[in-house]
Amino acid sequence: MQSESARMSSAAEARFRIDAPNSKPRSVKVIALDEPSERIVKELSQRTWNRAAFFTASSFGGTPKQGESFSGWLSDLAGRTKNLIEEVNSADLVVMVAAAGENAQAASIIGEACSLKRVTTTALVLGGPSISDEALSKTLSHLRPWALMLVIATAEDYIADMLTALRA
Amino acid sequence: MLRKEQNDLLCQTGPGTPMGRMFRASWQPALLAEELPENECPPVRVKLLGERLLAWRDTDGNYALTDEFCAHRGVSLWFGRNEHGGLRCPYHGWKYDHTGQCTEVPSEPSESGYCQKIKLKSYPLVERGGVLWTYMGPPEQQPPLPEWEFAMVPASHSFMSKRLQESNWLQAMEGGIDSSHVSFLHSGELNSDPLFKGSKGNQYNMNDMKPVFEVVESPGGLYIGARRNAENGNYYWRVTQYVMPAFTMIPPRADHPVHGHFWVPIDDENCWAWSFDYKVTRPLSDKERKAMEAGQGIHVAYVPGTYIPTANKTNDYLVDRKAQKEGRTFSGVFGIAMQDASLQESMGPIVDRTKENLVSTDNGIIMARHRLLRALKTMENGDMPPGIVAAHQHVRSAAVVLPPDKHFKDAAKEALVVQTGKEHVTV
Ligand code: FES
Ligand SMILES: [Fe+2]
Repeated sequence: MQSESARMSSAAEARFRIDAPNSKPRSVKVIALDEPSERIVKELSQRTWNRAAFFTASSFGGTPKQGESFSGWLSDLAGRTKNLIEEVNSADLVVMVAAAGENAQAASIIGEACSLKRVTTTALVLGGPSISDEALSKTLSHLRPWALMLVIATAEDYIADMLTALRA
Repeated sequence: MLRKEQNDLLCQTGPGTPMGRMFRASWQPALLAEELPENECPPVRVKLLGERLLAWRDTDGNYALTDEFCAHRGVSLWFGRNEHGGLRCPYHGWKYDHTGQCTEVPSEPSESGYCQKIKLKSYPLVERGGVLWTYMGPPEQQPPLPEWEFAMVPASHSFMSKRLQESNWLQAMEGGIDSSHVSFLHSGELNSDPLFKGSKGNQYNMNDMKPVFEVVESPGGLYIGARRNAENGNYYWRVTQYVMPAFTMIPPRADHPVHGHFWVPIDDENCWAWSFDYKVTRPLSDKERKAMEAGQGIHVAYVPGTYIPTANKTNDYLVDRKAQKEGRTFSGVFGIAMQDASLQESMGPIVDRTKENLVSTDNGIIMARHRLLRALKTMENGDMPPGIVAAHQHVRSAAVVLPPDKHFKDAAKEALVVQTGKEHVTV
């Protein structure tokens, strides 16, 4: 008699895989860290997504000073300010997008908020082959401490591919 | 997840398919040199990229890879008589040379030149590093022979094996770049397999089960860096190489031979998992070679007379539930290769990627698919896919400890390419 593994791994049996959703939508928050990325993220936000939301932190560089809070630290792409902690709190994944060579300092604020709320972070660095190693290293050094996954991509459309792959 | 059309695009490699064209743009391992051990030895059936071929070796030692079937009435030339400079079909005696050219049609007067009009499709077959390589693309675009490092070191320094995997090539290949499964599925082997154990890197692996990953595009494909904490705030990096379409190289451990794979489609539901091991500056020791021959490390033991693993789907991979309970093997299957293969075959011949739920740590896989799809696009404009030129093949995996502010791609620049006469950089 055929073993169970042999029978069940056949193409004929594969047809019986249950055709029902095996996940619920997840909330992916994509945050541009600088102006070049903001442009890309803006374009992305025009497409249809399940639950992805897009933000920018490009005009927020430093840590809020004493007395200030995170309440107005982030903005959506229409320019409305958002509360970083709240946004992170309701995210399943935070994706930070940075252009190679740009100052990615905002990553530490976002990263800190994510580690506080135990939210996974992914950082995506976009940069063509023309970007110098030093420029890239600078951006990376800001991101590395805060990203559990760091991707350096040469093509802009990688973000869209990644978000689609993640069902964002 | 991947849309169905994209999945089909990447999984289908038969003649005329885009992905098939990518595989046909570079030299692929077709069979082991040991399978054609001497002149006039028995021919071997070879199915590659959905094409049924026959590999054989003529009286003068010329290797041949031709259409499996006789042009006359379609008999398999596997039954052919390998004699006097050619292969003769046993049915009506038509004879072919190593280029597939028919040289005799006994029923026709030789003066008629009838046989000149008959030629079997054939592909070049060349030995390098114990492997017989073939190129199945347009003859006018045939690239120079492959220069993967394992194939360039002396024979005493390397070992190559292959095993049948009953799944599409892509789900096999994706296992090769899926660094996050190692600490689970293969946890038993890190400390017991003679070809893995006793490396300092294994300690880092086991002390830090949640590595942080960096996925970086390389000229030929990807570097996948897995970062774990080492002493004094430094990072232990393991950098895997992926070169398109189907080459993966595992980071080294201590002084053990370095290993890697090719994942070559037989057809859309089967592939050859090729596994190599080598050292640059020294021969493999007897002990190492014996272990590899016995199927340890990334190799397997075979059903005698075949390249089918002893533990295979017909015997439920010899799953041992007691060993699983006792923690001797994570999945109940023994051996690194079959731990991978059993799970990848269990997905079905072609996994339905529309049902996946990928997570952030899967970015290596996401990027590999993205690069493949991108390469397919550029091929539409007549560009060559990556992986063909020697520079893309002169790559190495590496295991390094680096200060926290260093990018592995720069800091390990030299470690990631072939350094003639020097071993891999390893921990
Ligand atoms: S945990 Fe990854 S396939 Fe099940
Ligand atoms: Fe594995």
